[in-house]
Amino acid sequence: MNEVLKNNKGLSLTIGKSLFKNPVFVNSGTFAGGVEYNAFFDISKLGAVTTKSFSLEKKEGNAPPRIWETSSGMLNSIGLQNEGINYFLDTQLCKMKELGADIILSIFGCDTEEFKKIAAKIKTIEKELKAVELNLSCPNVREGGMAFCAAPGQIGPVVSEIKNIIDVPLIVKLSPNFNTIIESAIISKENGADAISIINTITGTAFDIETFKPRLANISGGLSGPAIKPVALFHVYRLAKEKILPVIGMGGISCWQDAVEFLIAGACAIGVGTANFINPVISEKIIEGIAGYMVSMGFSSLDEMVGKAIKES
Amino acid sequence: MKLLSGEILANKKYGSSLYKLEVFSPYICRNAIPGQFVEVKCSTEDATDPLLRRPFGIYEIDKRFNVFSLLYIVRGKGTAFLSRMEKGQNLDFIGPLGNGLKFDLDDGKKYILIGGGIGIAPLCLAAAHLAEKEKEILFIAGFKDNVFFSWEKDIAKITQNYRIFTEDGSFGEKGLPTSYLAANIKKLNNSIIIACGPSDMLRVIQEILVNAHGFTALSLLEERMACGIGACMGCVIKIKEADGTVVYKKVCSDGPVFNLMEVIFE
Repeated sequence: MNEVLKNNKGLSLTIGKSLFKNPVFVNSGTFAGGVEYNAFFDISKLGAVTTKSFSLEKKEGNAPPRIWETSSGMLNSIGLQNEGINYFLDTQLCKMKELGADIILSIFGCDTEEFKKIAAKIKTIEKELKAVELNLSCPNVREGGMAFCAAPGQIGPVVSEIKNIIDVPLIVKLSPNFNTIIESAIISKENGADAISIINTITGTAFDIETFKPRLANISGGLSGPAIKPVALFHVYRLAKEKILPVIGMGGISCWQDAVEFLIAGACAIGVGTANFINPVISEKIIEGIAGYMVSMGFSSLDEMVGKAIKES
Repeated sequence: MKLLSGEILANKKYGSSLYKLEVFSPYICRNAIPGQFVEVKCSTEDATDPLLRRPFGIYEIDKRFNVFSLLYIVRGKGTAFLSRMEKGQNLDFIGPLGNGLKFDLDDGKKYILIGGGIGIAPLCLAAAHLAEKEKEILFIAGFKDNVFFSWEKDIAKITQNYRIFTEDGSFGEKGLPTSYLAANIKKLNNSIIIACGPSDMLRVIQEILVNAHGFTALSLLEERMACGIGACMGCVIKIKEADGTVVYKKVCSDGPVFNLMEVIFE
């Protein structure tokens, strides 16, 4: 084990009032609650586990087929299938705590009212959470979802109302599908958000050339995986340069080198998503890889490396 | 389930596009049961295309030598990559996955295994298990053509009680396994049917059994998968539960074994 890993302080960071042991998070919807992945490695090693997004009530999600592989990427149209926030409170939270996971709870609502109701429910357990991520960017639902990013004015009330209810750092997850990331980040900050996570998936589609049918029952889905990494990296770089809020960078990160690229582009932390499906231990390897890189480059803390590419460009 | 690496002992060509891959893995041989599957990385270590692992039902387990095998047809980029792998290379896979088949061996029932195309693969492991326990089995296989010609020697080693049908009559009898089932439904009762294959075939079996008595019907379902462990919710199918409610179930972790009569095919 190298010095940076031994001395956890070298990898740690803060978002709002929460301290994270390292900058490697796993993305909402790719890791469930982490229980499955704990069979492969100790998930308490992660900077944070971001849960699948929970809505107020159970959501059945979209009709199958829901996934289609593309060149170095995948389209999904899961549609936020989840058991509802009560399932998180009554069942999943306990399991995640037993495993020692640092939790970012992802929540989703169709409108400000639904978000407020969810916030009221999580108020009693807010101390168990490192942060709450507001999923304002799912491309696969008709109501809410990335509609918030299409009209960023709607983001303000959601953030401020939730901030009034719970005292937990708030992360706003944004979509790359509209040219509104910077505007949305400014509104998020003005209303009390603590960080921005980008990018959610990029809307795409695929068709069967023999049957002429769409590959996804929902017709469109969200593209993720290595194919979107350059796009995600650009959005992270562009937003981080503005120094509006800390940026959690995600989109196609598949190895520690990818993670380092996001960090030097200005991300304070990174999220691993689709890569978990291919290699269930990749996020652990990325933590080790970042630590090794820091030692070889002579960085003794994340602060020394985050945004290096912004300073150079 | 574990993330594993196993040495490839053979990658035998069984026909124009049919292969059998034999892999050394004491862990799989010790822990896997019929109906379970493995998710295989079908590209070199750092390659991102094909991206996702591919699920394959376990075809054979030889506990004496700690070798399991997969039977596969070359269809796309993933299986094409697999067909180029050679003896001595290591296979990167996760398994065993899914719930598999749990048999009540004292139920006095006979087993009818119905496989369509590559759907025969996991049924062969079930057949071998049941034959070892001296259960009465009938294996009915259906194919489009004679691509599976060389496979017959494998099933013949497990049981002599098998029927092979092809749509073009080029191998076995001309016809469909479902037609055979429909024609013989009365004399086959008091059986457990386990079916795996295209959804069109499963739907027809379901229709045949709706009006039949004395059957329990299980299906091993196949779906495109991403994680394979129940995290991503990509591989769901619609199930009508006993109380009439319709829910999405994950083929990877709730299945792949489902009560055939509860599956909604769309």
